[in-house]
Amino acid sequence: MYLYLNQIKAIVWKDLVTELKTRELFSSMFIFALLVIIIFIFSVDLSIVKANEVGPGVLWVAFLFAGTMGLNRSFMLEKENGCLEGLILTPADRTAIYFGKLISNLIFLMVMEIFILPLFMVFFNVDLIPFLGPLLVVIFIGTLGFCAIGTLLSSLSSNLKTREIMLPILLYPLIVPVMIAVVRMTGQILDGKSLGTMMNWVGLTLAFDIIFIGVSVLTIDHILEE
Amino acid sequence: MREEAAEETPKENYILLWLTGAVIFAAIAAIYLYVPTEKTEGAVQRIMYFHLPCAWLSFFAFFVVFLCSILFLWKREREWDIYAHASAEIGVIFCSLVLITGPLWARPIWGAWWVWDARLTSTLILWLIYVAYLMLRSQTEPGSMRARYAAVIGIAGFLDIPLIHFSVLWWRSFHPLPKVITSEGIGTGLDTSMMVTLLISLAAFTLLYFVLMGQRVRQEKLRDEIDRIKKDKLYSH
Repeated sequence: MYLYLNQIKAIVWKDLVTELKTRELFSSMFIFALLVIIIFIFSVDLSIVKANEVGPGVLWVAFLFAGTMGLNRSFMLEKENGCLEGLILTPADRTAIYFGKLISNLIFLMVMEIFILPLFMVFFNVDLIPFLGPLLVVIFIGTLGFCAIGTLLSSLSSNLKTREIMLPILLYPLIVPVMIAVVRMTGQILDGKSLGTMMNWVGLTLAFDIIFIGVSVLTIDHILEE
Repeated sequence: MREEAAEETPKENYILLWLTGAVIFAAIAAIYLYVPTEKTEGAVQRIMYFHLPCAWLSFFAFFVVFLCSILFLWKREREWDIYAHASAEIGVIFCSLVLITGPLWARPIWGAWWVWDARLTSTLILWLIYVAYLMLRSQTEPGSMRARYAAVIGIAGFLDIPLIHFSVLWWRSFHPLPKVITSEGIGTGLDTSMMVTLLISLAAFTLLYFVLMGQRVRQEKLRDEIDRIKKDKLYSH
């Protein structure tokens, strides 16, 4: 067990160090998310609609698009120099590779999302400070679900010729339940409701997280099999 | 070898084919001649006898994809991959028919082609999942990799259906539409003649599924056979 956790830690650490050296992924995800938000602001007239109503949707679409970039990158980076073969050759279990990648993706996305929040506050003129606790919980469970299925599909699509296109085409229909849940929850949190009043959505998101981590653990052996 | 493959169309296949033809004929006769026109909705209601069996068939086909995907990852036999592929194709075709016949009925009855009702939304997302499944298949080279990847999507896609269902249901219930979606609940007060027609139609479509499956699976197996023979010839010279 200890060895297993150490293997996961090593993979996460490797990804974090690579990212700290290059800062390629973080900066591009951040700027892309920002651009998505700005483009949405141009497409909806904020003087007519309430920021609380469109805000959560815009925020999560930005996270989703930028996150897809991050996921695409996650296994492509490994493909470039044959690192994936190296990883598979190590005595680590395939599921350890999955969990390592899942955790590093989760960290990158969470950092990007936390940096986006203040800008969202300024652009949409909503005060997030009083709701920060529940909001971070929602962002965490939503991003976890997104990364759980996203990491699996990214490992799969990285072997395809049309990988950048296939990842979102496979991912977005599957991610619909989480998207609906997190947008609803974020909207209700901004309306001042507590997490306790939306346990059905929290439950749904957690169920999604658990189901897709389970599916990934059971099937990752069949994907990483070269 | 080739004679064997050619002989693989046994008599049962023809029996199934004729039976399906007869039941489809009976279903069409029942829909257009036997069953009376619905009082409030008029002739357009008859589309229900196509719409509902199509929906049933596509869900059934996706379930078969799910089962065959699991069996493939477990047993690693090409057979299951062929079944999953064939079933997904049939499912997508009939799911498309559901999405086409639905709006045709909804336009005169609801006054709108499309409403973001829970069932409509889940069907649309389901369609997208399996279109993506087929795209994945068409964009990878035939072989073990394609079968394995497709199986993973086949499993993940099917397990997502209950989650999609609940999320869309709750999503709608927060914003109830003024439209009378309950008019869809005709099922409870269905007249006997309508019920009979519907059942014949359901039977016809279910049989059609097996005919199409049989054809598609045979076609795929013959393709494998041709590929094998081609390879043999290539290396023998």
